[in-house]
Amino acid sequence: MIPKQISAALVVFVMTVLLATAGSTEPMAIIKVPIDRVIDILNDPQYKVAGTKLTQRNQIWKHVGPMFDFDEVARRAVARKWRDFADTEKAAFTDVFAQFLGNTYIDKIQGEYHNEQIVYLGQNYHSEVYAEVKTRIVRETAEIPVDYRMRKKSDDQWKVYDIIVEGVSLVKNYRSQFASILRKETPAQLIQRLNDKLTEQNKRLAENE
Amino acid sequence: MVLVIFWITVGTTWAESLEPPMDIPSSEDTDAIFFDPFDDDGEDFYGNEDQMPDMVADPIAGFNRAMFVFNDKLYFWVLKPAASGYRVVVPIPVRVSVKNFFFNLLAPVRLVNSLFQGKWRSAEGEFCRFVVNSTAGFLGLFNLVRDKPSFNPPEEDFGQTLGYYNVGNGVYIIWPLFGPSTLRDTVGSIGDWALNPFAFMQLIQVDAGVLTSSETNIIAYGVRTVNSTSFRIGDYEALKNAALDPYEAFRNAYIQNRLSMIAQ
Repeated sequence: MIPKQISAALVVFVMTVLLATAGSTEPMAIIKVPIDRVIDILNDPQYKVAGTKLTQRNQIWKHVGPMFDFDEVARRAVARKWRDFADTEKAAFTDVFAQFLGNTYIDKIQGEYHNEQIVYLGQNYHSEVYAEVKTRIVRETAEIPVDYRMRKKSDDQWKVYDIIVEGVSLVKNYRSQFASILRKETPAQLIQRLNDKLTEQNKRLAENE
Repeated sequence: MVLVIFWITVGTTWAESLEPPMDIPSSEDTDAIFFDPFDDDGEDFYGNEDQMPDMVADPIAGFNRAMFVFNDKLYFWVLKPAASGYRVVVPIPVRVSVKNFFFNLLAPVRLVNSLFQGKWRSAEGEFCRFVVNSTAGFLGLFNLVRDKPSFNPPEEDFGQTLGYYNVGNGVYIIWPLFGPSTLRDTVGSIGDWALNPFAFMQLIQVDAGVLTSSETNIIAYGVRTVNSTSFRIGDYEALKNAALDPYEAFRNAYIQNRLSMIAQ
């Protein structure tokens, strides 16, 4: 019979090892943990009360925000024109684009969540630093495939750099829009456009509170 | 206890197996060879703009933009109010059955196009689902095999068949009422239309009375559109709000979506 303390210590040790490996090596866990939390938040009765939407949105953002590598998202979305951005413009663009994406998509799921189930189909490694997690949103009449493309950062953390919904890459979609805007306008003007859109968005969200 | 030790072994070997030091280039280093390994096209981000694989020729952009606005107004002024009202009045099970019915009715389109592309397994799945749902599912009102993946292959259409045989998009066209398409997919839609049972009976000159009248065709199309829209109210708005350049965003999304469907 092993003394209690030792077995307790063993359990703690095992948990630590498992958590550590799961945390740093499993791209699917990086997706699943925050998404499950978001679904809990969406179902949480405390947010069914009027005037709690903003708090709920901030809670959701706290969980999904860290899933993403917004530097990478921004850089890939701007693509070849990224070189025309000054360093301060790069930072400003990344920041406003991240906020804009967060607002847009969180508002969408807040308004539209009707007990959809998320099915995790699996993960493919393309190499040691690239992986793809395949999921499916199951609605009452349709299934929407959603794939998360991830890259392992130098700190060993997997981060999402693109989402593919029904075969449509978010990054590529914005890339075509940014390309068409940057053909006529400067990076500063594009940032201004995003800022305007964000302000307008925040105003609308505040009104819907 | 054995279990715990087992876990330690598995846990640590697992950790070790993933141990090899990885050479991760920093973002700036990869700038020149900036790519997404999951894209087959291996797009060069800094290459010639005209060679972007998702681009489509848009020589009639003036017309398309006008139609984009027209369809947008049509959605907000007609389709959305109709579908919203319909959603309130008609309970979900009925709407699901209406959707199932039309889906089943169009099985010949998907079946024939699976065959055209030599996708025998898909064709088999389409055929079996059609037989089961048309009989036991009361003329397709119920989808009894919803949870069986082999009975639910990717949906094929004639535009995809043409794409499968390397027919390019041609030009981008936005049709009033029907929405975004390309020259290839327009030809495809006409082929698909001919395979829907109502039109098919008309074409082979079977006189099924009211079933083959143009009015029935139009009403069927209208009901199907309103019914399917009732499930996705809000999607169009969300996509539009997420865009900085909605015309460009929808064009790109259409082309990307079709490419992925052809690849399936």
